[in-house]
Amino acid sequence: MARIKHRYLLVSILYPQGSNAVKASTEKQNAIPESIKFREPTPDGLTLELIKPMIKRGVAELFGDYGVGMTLGSLKVIYFSPATSTIIIRVARAHYQLVWAALTYTTQLPRPVNQPCVFQVVRVSGTIRKAEEEVIRRAREEMRHAQKETGEDTNDVNLGVLGFKADPRTGRTRILDGVDEALEIEDDDADMVDEDDDEYGSDD
Amino acid sequence: MFYDLNVQWVQNENELQRTLSFLAELGYNVVALNYTLSGKLPSEITCPIPDPLPFPTPPTLRILRRCTLLTTSPSQNHRLGDLTRTHDLVALRPTDEATLLQACTSLLDCALISLDLTQRFAFPFKHRSLGAAIERGVKFEICYSPGILANDATARRNLISNATQLVRATRGRGLVISSEAGRALGCRAPWDVVNLAAMWGLGRERGREAVTGVARHAVVSAQLKRTSYRGVVDVVEGGVQPERGGKAKEKGKQAGNKRKLEQSEEHGGKKKLGTEEASKGGDKMKKKNGELQNATTVAATEDLTMRPD
Repeated sequence: MARIKHRYLLVSILYPQGSNAVKASTEKQNAIPESIKFREPTPDGLTLELIKPMIKRGVAELFGDYGVGMTLGSLKVIYFSPATSTIIIRVARAHYQLVWAALTYTTQLPRPVNQPCVFQVVRVSGTIRKAEEEVIRRAREEMRHAQKETGEDTNDVNLGVLGFKADPRTGRTRILDGVDEALEIEDDDADMVDEDDDEYGSDD
Repeated sequence: MFYDLNVQWVQNENELQRTLSFLAELGYNVVALNYTLSGKLPSEITCPIPDPLPFPTPPTLRILRRCTLLTTSPSQNHRLGDLTRTHDLVALRPTDEATLLQACTSLLDCALISLDLTQRFAFPFKHRSLGAAIERGVKFEICYSPGILANDATARRNLISNATQLVRATRGRGLVISSEAGRALGCRAPWDVVNLAAMWGLGRERGREAVTGVARHAVVSAQLKRTSYRGVVDVVEGGVQPERGGKAKEKGKQAGNKRKLEQSEEHGGKKKLGTEEASKGGDKMKKKNGELQNATTVAATEDLTMRPD
């Protein structure tokens, strides 16, 4: 059985200008470790529903109706975590570059928020499971870096704050909402075909 | 190792520091701070960018100093020799066809040719002249940030159009992609840039080369021209070799071999390589000078070589 092939873009939002809360006191700004200076939580105004129209508008601006038409079919925002500023987007495999370029050209969050930001695609993956694992790996690494810089003890319990928790039976960490359901669907038909997961630099 | 060879040097220290740490966060390893010179050159050329910078910079980031010279007429006296002595990189920004041709064929000392791609050029890029420049080891630069931050669609369109024209005329060789960002918002991560390059018709592999290998080549050959012996051999700290039995006298040997090498070069023969050959790439040189390896590390093979001796 043929399956519709997708690519999953793992995108992280960076805030090069810093948020208003941090700007308020320069003293506080100095206390923030270098590695998480630009990785702030996303403002509350941004919701999952706002992201897809934003991407669509970006694609339309760069590639016009052709681009929108080519990508609209499978474009879906699978997961969005405001705490870690991470998004997983599902796109058509043949045209994921259009969406990626549109994200690169985006300079601010959509209308009600309007905050300047940079979208960085950190992983292109063929299955949702690998994208999810990468999210967790990155969050862990960031925590570790930040704790190293501030001199605190490394403790994975803190990951619970960010919306991750370990499955008590398997010990595997899973993202709480959204991804799990999508993952189950994915798992069903993933058995039938070979997993075509790969990193950057791969051609189709 | 990812390179961004054009970050605008701004007087505002906070802004610059933010930009640099943002670039480090995005994954860049080498960044060149750039300022533009135009019109008549001052009698004494000094680099206005302080060394070291007056604020702490990320430890993973190596910072270079670069100067871009705006050339408006072919008869202008450029004194590029003076510029190359005081800067890590020198780039030219030709404004019309005549100056572009001059930059491609006759001006020797520049490492990069950086056209302002947000303008519309009245002339097409010719493979013959651009190819001549690439043959000499001069790279062409595409700056993406003006296209991203532009408010009007014209600049963005011109950038895409000119970038594809450059890719066509150079056959994808000798292209460097850098940001030309004045603030952190204009910077993009290396892999995002590679994807943009793929959209411009450069291809994924070539795009990756444009932010890694080709950019590195520009830096190393510029460095080599400044510090090395006749632009060919540079003695560098090659790292500490693990102790092997009976090689304690290595240091004394090194100095001797160096002298020998220089002599043999003066006598001509196979080992004499011109500057042009030096700029063609380190790997070739590595092979040719293979037997001299333990005495002198030939430049452009390891990143270590970029440190001045």
